[in-house]
Amino acid sequence: MISRRLRYELAGRAVGPLLAALEHRRGSHGPAARDGGPFGPPLASTRRLKELMGVYYYQGRWADGAVPVAWVTSGFPVEVLRAHGFYCVYPENHAALCAARRLGPELSEVAEAAGYSRDLCAYARMDIGSVLSGDTPVGRIPKPDLVAACSNICQTVVYWFRAVADHLDVPFVLVDTPFVYGDFQPHGLAFVAEQLEELAQVAARIAGRPAREVDIGRVVELAWRASQEWGACLEEGRHRPSPWTAFDHFIHMAPIVALRGTRTCLDYYRELHAELSERVRGGIGGVVPERHRLLWDNIAIWYRLRDLSRLFADDGFAFVCATYSSAWAQSWDGFDPAHRVHSTAAMLSGVLLNRDLANRLALMKGLVRDFSVDGVVLHSDRSCKPYSVGQYDLKDALQRELGVRVVVLEADHADSRAYSAEQIETRARAFMESF
Amino acid sequence: MNRLDAIRGHQARRGKVLAVLPIHYPKELLTALDILAVELWGPPGPPRGPDAGRMQSYVCAIVRNALAFISAGGAAPADGLLFPHTCDSIQGLATVVRDFGSWPKPVFHYIHARGEERPSARRFVEAELERLAGELAAFAGRPLDGARLRDAIRLHRAIDRLRATLLDRRAHLPLGDRELYRLLRRGEYLWPEDHLAELEAAATGLAPAPVQEGLPLLVSGIVPEPMSVLDALAGAGAFVAADDYAAVGRRVNRHQPGSLDDPFAALAELAFAAPSCSTRQSNQVARADRLEALLESSGALGVLLHGVKFCEPELFDLPVLRRRLMERGVPVLQLETELELELSGQALTRIEAFVEMLGAAAGRGTG
Repeated sequence: MISRRLRYELAGRAVGPLLAALEHRRGSHGPAARDGGPFGPPLASTRRLKELMGVYYYQGRWADGAVPVAWVTSGFPVEVLRAHGFYCVYPENHAALCAARRLGPELSEVAEAAGYSRDLCAYARMDIGSVLSGDTPVGRIPKPDLVAACSNICQTVVYWFRAVADHLDVPFVLVDTPFVYGDFQPHGLAFVAEQLEELAQVAARIAGRPAREVDIGRVVELAWRASQEWGACLEEGRHRPSPWTAFDHFIHMAPIVALRGTRTCLDYYRELHAELSERVRGGIGGVVPERHRLLWDNIAIWYRLRDLSRLFADDGFAFVCATYSSAWAQSWDGFDPAHRVHSTAAMLSGVLLNRDLANRLALMKGLVRDFSVDGVVLHSDRSCKPYSVGQYDLKDALQRELGVRVVVLEADHADSRAYSAEQIETRARAFMESF
Repeated sequence: MNRLDAIRGHQARRGKVLAVLPIHYPKELLTALDILAVELWGPPGPPRGPDAGRMQSYVCAIVRNALAFISAGGAAPADGLLFPHTCDSIQGLATVVRDFGSWPKPVFHYIHARGEERPSARRFVEAELERLAGELAAFAGRPLDGARLRDAIRLHRAIDRLRATLLDRRAHLPLGDRELYRLLRRGEYLWPEDHLAELEAAATGLAPAPVQEGLPLLVSGIVPEPMSVLDALAGAGAFVAADDYAAVGRRVNRHQPGSLDDPFAALAELAFAAPSCSTRQSNQVARADRLEALLESSGALGVLLHGVKFCEPELFDLPVLRRRLMERGVPVLQLETELELELSGQALTRIEAFVEMLGAAAGRGTG
């Protein structure tokens, strides 16, 4: 146990950073991250991002047996687990990484051969495929002591994570967040708050000790401040030109998903924010020249990020904001550390996908107004129903009430087999020509 | 009596009517307030209006058809809508209907606690029941009387006992599958006392010895639509000996609450004691156990897993169910339909081949 712990700490503090630095040196002789063209200069913070995500995954290889390990959903109250010393794995983040490396069909087919339908969430299929086959582009994912899901992003994660827990024969814990129609219901918030207490008991049992109050407070504070910093980074997109695009958000959101509640995460977003502010002062845009400003709705199309960003940027269209990346900042609005448990319950329940479409429309209208958006792209995501149901009504409402142009692109966030390049390009070009 | 007759008759004699989306909801609350529940399972067939196009084609037909039906005024005879929080798609439908002006009358929702029973979940369900009861009482225009709620719980327990008897003694019932399901599913829109009377009449027909001669099958899925699935089974020489449809068998709750003193506590107790269901995110192992118990008690020779395309809750259960059944050596046919009116030729052929295979394995001729 001691040697495993030592190896884990060494991996995180010495070997991982060293390997990341070597990787960077090797990469620095290769082609630049961006090939110029319609894009502004690449963000310098990307190097730091790659380092810290590389170290995170590298350290994970040595986590099981050294510290308690949990697999958690992106909307899970991970702060409770971190305060108990857990290393947390995010299967959604891992699936996005697999998709970006175009491993989606390969991993999905493993799950499909085991009986999981192609109509299910592509993240779920890829993650289950990775669990069944052991294949991963990050070397090794540590075996969990706990699989933990929060229903605030969808019901799908509950089925998916339970299936994984059953397969790996480890405990499963659910934090159920009742869907919010209109205003929060007091009994709904009370239910979530009570489950946070239950979760702390489960975490203490697995970790072998209860967390100190001061540790929980510190982790929550770090998560809250990182979320505010991430929100501040996104806010820089209000400037003309926007110093970065939503496609950059999708890359740089990895720490707020996977490292929330750590000092590393907060420091990273401070660094990124400083760089973005500097770009704003220098008038440096993410897309050059920036002719039109767009809002992206739904999960990124991970396996086509570069192609899509190029397709739009070539004609001067910059995605300056996205409902997806905003979700990790917006849900913390109104958080009050003086009422931590109740406030966390409200934060968890207030996540975009756990609220009605009236709330989503209000959020989108706010983004259109605040970011001076003149067009909206709705990604109708074949295997993500909670994000996609209602998009045609949102489209009509945005067009009718704000007069912005809106287009729906049919694709899938992770399964490239559901992507038709010709169809997407034709629709996107027709949309851009309408400006 | 069809749904429309039931609605008009109830409005003339008793009170208000709620159109209710699938699947699980506390019907006792409605009964105690003289509100008739008329369930909206699509309806089956092609969408009855253009608004199905407001949902993507990868959303299940129950939800797309319901949106088309509601938007086209099909549900207008009802006085309100109730959406149980069954899945992401029905939850989405609820907010589309409420937030985008498809329906001018009151909209209610009911949220389940997901997963296993826990003290926190039990408290939430009780509070949620009280919230809904308060809203429905305002809708009905009168307060909810505790004694009437207790009577409603007793009435629905009696209905479930009879439904359980008819399903458990299916082989003794001289009704074809289509007739049996029509009878059981009339509970989706009849006033409960009228439904109870029909069930009692059917139960008098139970024979002392089995009267069904076909090959016994277990069926599981969401809803027995198209009903020609049942005709196909009968035509091939099989009959439904045990049922695990979410619309039917999974709503037959055999539990008797310990006490009715606190009717909300009793309803919460019933909710957690109900048969395992994917739409409530019950434990898949518990559901597999239930299927195995149904196989034992009914003597079913095979299982038809009949899903609705794009139904995510059910699709997540299938790998576990298939694995468990195959480990037992139980033949399984997995079939997906989309609320079409008639079964496709391909599906028909698969059912015929499956039943023929079961018959050959059992040493019995079919058809």
